Amino acid sequence: MSSPSVSKPARGNIAIDVEECKGCGLCVDSCPPKCLELAPELSSYGVHPAHYTGHDCTGCGICFYCCPEPGAITVYRLAPLPKVAVPQVAAGGEHAATL
Amino acid sequence: MRQLCKGNVAVIKGAVLAGCRAYYGYPITPASEVAEAAALYLPEVGGTFIQAESETASINMVYGAASAGVRVMTASSGPGLSLMQEGISYLAGAELPCVIVDVMRGGPGLGNIAPEQSDYFAMVKGGGHGNYRNLVVAPASVQEMADLTVLAFELADKYRNPAIVLTDGFVGQMMEPLALEYREITGPAKPWAVQGTAETRQNLICSIYLEPDALEEHQRKLEAKYIRAQQTETRCEEYRTEDAELILVGYGIVSRVLRSTVDQARRQGIKAGLFRPITLWPFPEKQLQAAALRAQKVMVVELSNGQMLEDVRLTVNGKRPIEFYGRVGGNVPTVEELMAKIEEQVPAVV
Repeated sequence: MSSPSVSKPARGNIAIDVEECKGCGLCVDSCPPKCLELAPELSSYGVHPAHYTGHDCTGCGICFYCCPEPGAITVYRLAPLPKVAVPQVAAGGEHAATL
Repeated sequence: MRQLCKGNVAVIKGAVLAGCRAYYGYPITPASEVAEAAALYLPEVGGTFIQAESETASINMVYGAASAGVRVMTASSGPGLSLMQEGISYLAGAELPCVIVDVMRGGPGLGNIAPEQSDYFAMVKGGGHGNYRNLVVAPASVQEMADLTVLAFELADKYRNPAIVLTDGFVGQMMEPLALEYREITGPAKPWAVQGTAETRQNLICSIYLEPDALEEHQRKLEAKYIRAQQTETRCEEYRTEDAELILVGYGIVSRVLRSTVDQARRQGIKAGLFRPITLWPFPEKQLQAAALRAQKVMVVELSNGQMLEDVRLTVNGKRPIEFYGRVGGNVPTVEELMAKIEEQVPAVV
């Protein structure tokens, strides 16, 4: 699992229907930012379904196109975040906990 | 205009252009997109899509629509095709045209959802009961998924017999450019169909002939049809076979890997050529025989434990040595892997 990206917020989000996924791993192999993995838990069909790590998705949709299971993967492209000035706080500084 | 399209979707686009107006199926990975595309496109052209309760039900719905003279199809993968075999035998027995797509996956049993070519015996040699044959075409690209589906509909109507589009999870799932040609839908008149009209009231579609002589006569009629198909419908593609010393034989996705292997082998001084059957039944025996006799050796590559290999052996008939290389379980051989195998046979000219 890759480490959480702090500098670039995810541009996409992935919803996986664990009951549709057959755990073939094609999406995991094809994902350019490597933000998918196979879950350690088993689905009710006894396979390890794909799982979004929760960060780094660019919304490219390649996982959707290579998935052989219609309906198993839905990719959302997120609206870009409004550009607001983020106060620069040194690590461990006064407001660090709120960031 | 060219479009980027998945192989399974191209099947339906070809089918719609061929005049297919009915699809009955049950989803299965890696063939589900065929049903998905059928549900999307067929209602748009006034067609019918029904997701049946099982593969057994869907093949019998195909029987019904084919009896009514409609261009009809279904698609599935190995486990589903196993369930359909009874219906396919009945369709052949009743001389009903239809198209059945088999996007082969790993087996036996549930196996997995990765590509294999292990349904060759089941589709090409039969699988259902009785003396019958399926017309089988084997696409190797997304373009052919559409084009050979059109051909399958034409062959099915011409011979009044089920036609199978035998492909694998690899070709079904991959995306490639697809160019579609609008064509006039032409099909033979079907005066034998039962259409609920006064004119077709006397027609009877069935496969039961209780009198031995009547059944024998019916089977001789089927046999004559199959012989006619064997004489006129074989199709194949040859690549650099004119001066080849080693003929590589493969169909479907394997043929794509073999084409690159031929080029690689030629760069290394090995005169290789590719022979790709496009129709698996009727098998292009004459063409393969000619190519094999021009060469010194034949090597069959399949995603199976050696099924088409048997047809190649029958065709070459011991006149040339035949090697076999097969990968199973969903693995697809690489060019490097095949080159290593070839170099074992032919000392490389470096």
